Amino acid sequence: MKFRIKFNKKNYLKYISHLDLMRLFERTFNRIDAPIEYSQGFNPKPKISIASPLSLGIESEEEWMDIELLEKVDEKDFIKNVNSILPSDIQILETEYIEDNTPIAALINWSVYEIYFLLLEDKKKIELENIIEDWLKQEEILIERYRKKGRNKILVTENIIELMKDIELKSLKNNEVVLKGKLKIGESGTLRPRDFINAFIADNNLNIDIDSISFKRISQII
Amino acid sequence: MINKDKLDRVLKKVDRPARYIGMEINSVKKDFKDAKVKFVFSYPDIYEVGMSHLGLHILYNLINDREDYLCERVFCPWTDMEKAMREEKLPLYSLESKEEIINFDFLGFTLQYEMSYTNILNMLDLAHIPFLSKDRDEDFPLIIGGGPCAFNPEPLADFFDLFLIGEGEERTLDIIDIYKEHREKGYDKDEFLKTISRLEGVYVPKFYTTDYNEDGTIKSMTAIEGAPSIVKKNRVRDIENMYYHEKMIIPYIETVHDRVVFELFRGCTRGCRFCQAGMIYRPIRERSPQKLKEIAAKIVENTGYENISLSSLSSCDYSQLEFLIKDLVNEFEEKKVGVTLPSLRLDSFSIDILKELEKVRKSGLTFAPEAGSQRLRDVINKGVDEEDLIKAVSYAFKEGWSKIKLYFMIGLPTETDNDLIGIKELSYLVKELFFNRPKEEIRGSFKLTSSASCFVPKAFTPFQWIGQDSIEEFKRKIMLVKDSIKDRKITFNYHNPEVSYMEAIFARGDRRLSATLIRAFEKGCKFDGWGEHFKFETWLEALAETDIDGDFYALRKRELDEKLPWDFIDCGVSKKYLIKEYKRAIIGELTDDCRDNCNVCGIDNCEMRGVKSEI
Repeated sequence: MKFRIKFNKKNYLKYISHLDLMRLFERTFNRIDAPIEYSQGFNPKPKISIASPLSLGIESEEEWMDIELLEKVDEKDFIKNVNSILPSDIQILETEYIEDNTPIAALINWSVYEIYFLLLEDKKKIELENIIEDWLKQEEILIERYRKKGRNKILVTENIIELMKDIELKSLKNNEVVLKGKLKIGESGTLRPRDFINAFIADNNLNIDIDSISFKRISQII
Repeated sequence: MINKDKLDRVLKKVDRPARYIGMEINSVKKDFKDAKVKFVFSYPDIYEVGMSHLGLHILYNLINDREDYLCERVFCPWTDMEKAMREEKLPLYSLESKEEIINFDFLGFTLQYEMSYTNILNMLDLAHIPFLSKDRDEDFPLIIGGGPCAFNPEPLADFFDLFLIGEGEERTLDIIDIYKEHREKGYDKDEFLKTISRLEGVYVPKFYTTDYNEDGTIKSMTAIEGAPSIVKKNRVRDIENMYYHEKMIIPYIETVHDRVVFELFRGCTRGCRFCQAGMIYRPIRERSPQKLKEIAAKIVENTGYENISLSSLSSCDYSQLEFLIKDLVNEFEEKKVGVTLPSLRLDSFSIDILKELEKVRKSGLTFAPEAGSQRLRDVINKGVDEEDLIKAVSYAFKEGWSKIKLYFMIGLPTETDNDLIGIKELSYLVKELFFNRPKEEIRGSFKLTSSASCFVPKAFTPFQWIGQDSIEEFKRKIMLVKDSIKDRKITFNYHNPEVSYMEAIFARGDRRLSATLIRAFEKGCKFDGWGEHFKFETWLEALAETDIDGDFYALRKRELDEKLPWDFIDCGVSKKYLIKEYKRAIIGELTDDCRDNCNVCGIDNCEMRGVKSEI
């Protein structure tokens, strides 16, 4: 049966990769003897799937994962036992048994991000808000990125204007900027926060400290 | 604590940032300020390598199990991290508290191989700690070294405040206890060092002076300030009740050995004459099967690891191996936990045991004949003959293995070209054994890899007096073997003789080499054990600029009465015995396994005399 888990990934643990995270959950479930279903075949693997893997270096307040269980477990005990083994910066927040067979990844269309960076020039709040508004008014925002085509990588130009919405300035204090917005994720297109911010900075000629950029996923929505 | 914003900026730029964050399951985070003594343990290589070192897990838990004390970790940042740290002016920090290394009481390095020495200097530099012991006052951590290379600590003598010779676990706590007392009543670095220099197994280099003869050899080494003239190695007497780690830190990233590891036994009775570990870790001391099961169960429970590896110098020599393996496999089969044994030998090799262990997966098999001919195997006292190899390999093929690795050394004493051709012949023989079978029995695709390393003579072995082959001679010999192997199914690999030359210099070096190390570091040498970073030309310049003749240390044959830089250490095995073994080696005479017959090596209270493996 499908068991849906919401968890977070914070602070330094944003620096562990998706594969590392999978290994961490695998080991943790093993340690509490969770009745997880294994795949068939030569190299059996526990059935764990994470909705939309985070890139290395991004924090998240809301990650989703489905696991297949052979029998029901008590949800409270499960959360308590798993969280006692997991590090404090990766913790299970909620669980739910799911009847619907749709994989979690297919349900999610938007990721909500907060993006932080440090401006190296003085800008008023209203100036930045106008910049954002004007930028979004355009018919197209083009970015170049590498796409896999067969075994090769080719450079393609892509219009990302449809891949973002509700972009706003969340705060500006001492030149520290926090943007908030929804970026598309999933089969109908994906806009990575790194590509988004690079385009925003370049298009608007903002002078910022590149090494200061950091991302946080706030939630994932349908 | 270091500046966390800076750290964050740095971590965003580097490859595999998880190397530098700590926070792993089973890592221990104590309140830094509250700890009475703060120890930071370092393996001077990258995280993945260091975390695979068993000694780290033992010492880390040993110290942290004491409420008053704290032990954290630091590894050598990879080159991208080092660059980013220097750009941001971020000092070296510990993984747990993210605390500057300079704020610890002790910085302990494990010395596993000579080619990590420049990393030690690099780490001190990143920590803003002066290289030389004499330049460090009470405000700096005490730099302490241990591990196999501490058996010839002299090339590092100027950098370290003290070394622990031999098995460190018990003595480490003694030293920390005494340090705490000294701190409480007004600490003076010299007073403290004087006090601990009296302890068995402790070597404080500043209390020893060395004089040299005109020909560059050592004239005398004198102990001053009441330090003992002979430093006896530490040795754990009661292995059954010795401390063991119940937990292991579980790295987020994949490391070299990602599994439960603990010791099956210490020491080795084989007496291979090239092997330093076989001499310095005598006598052999076994843990009981009950104890091993108890340890295994605890660590498995605390880690959730799916594999157990029993470590020792020669697994098959454990006297109740068959019994133990059956027991462990039974116990852990249900939990899907596998058991592996490294260091299997082909003489006492039992494929049945391997069958028990590898019920599912058939990985490659490795054998170490070490030398190509029987004559040379007798010289090094590798008590293995061709018959043993044939038997073991044939049986392995019959049981379905098809990938074999053979390990050899090139440049062993008395070696001739005929011995080298033996490497080719043995490789071809293994291939024939695979194919000279009825067609229906041949399964899998055959692959043989024969690897040769360049022999490095080590301190405290019967070969400590011999001269290493020159780089040119190594190259000639390597090409001789390489050109003789003309079979697509056999791959011949070899080590870089230039690295082995540098290793030989430091393996038997003296105090005068510390200047060379500093010079090499300044010229950019680091990660010398990593092929892509080893800069031989730079090393040669560093030797020349510090007036050091590398050949004097690496290539020169020593007279038996020469004073050697490590002679002040008593490793338990007597020099008389090493000389006897050296002489027997040259005439190709074998020496019995100590379990069969005591060879009077000088070790006191050896309990394993005559205790044979049941298989």
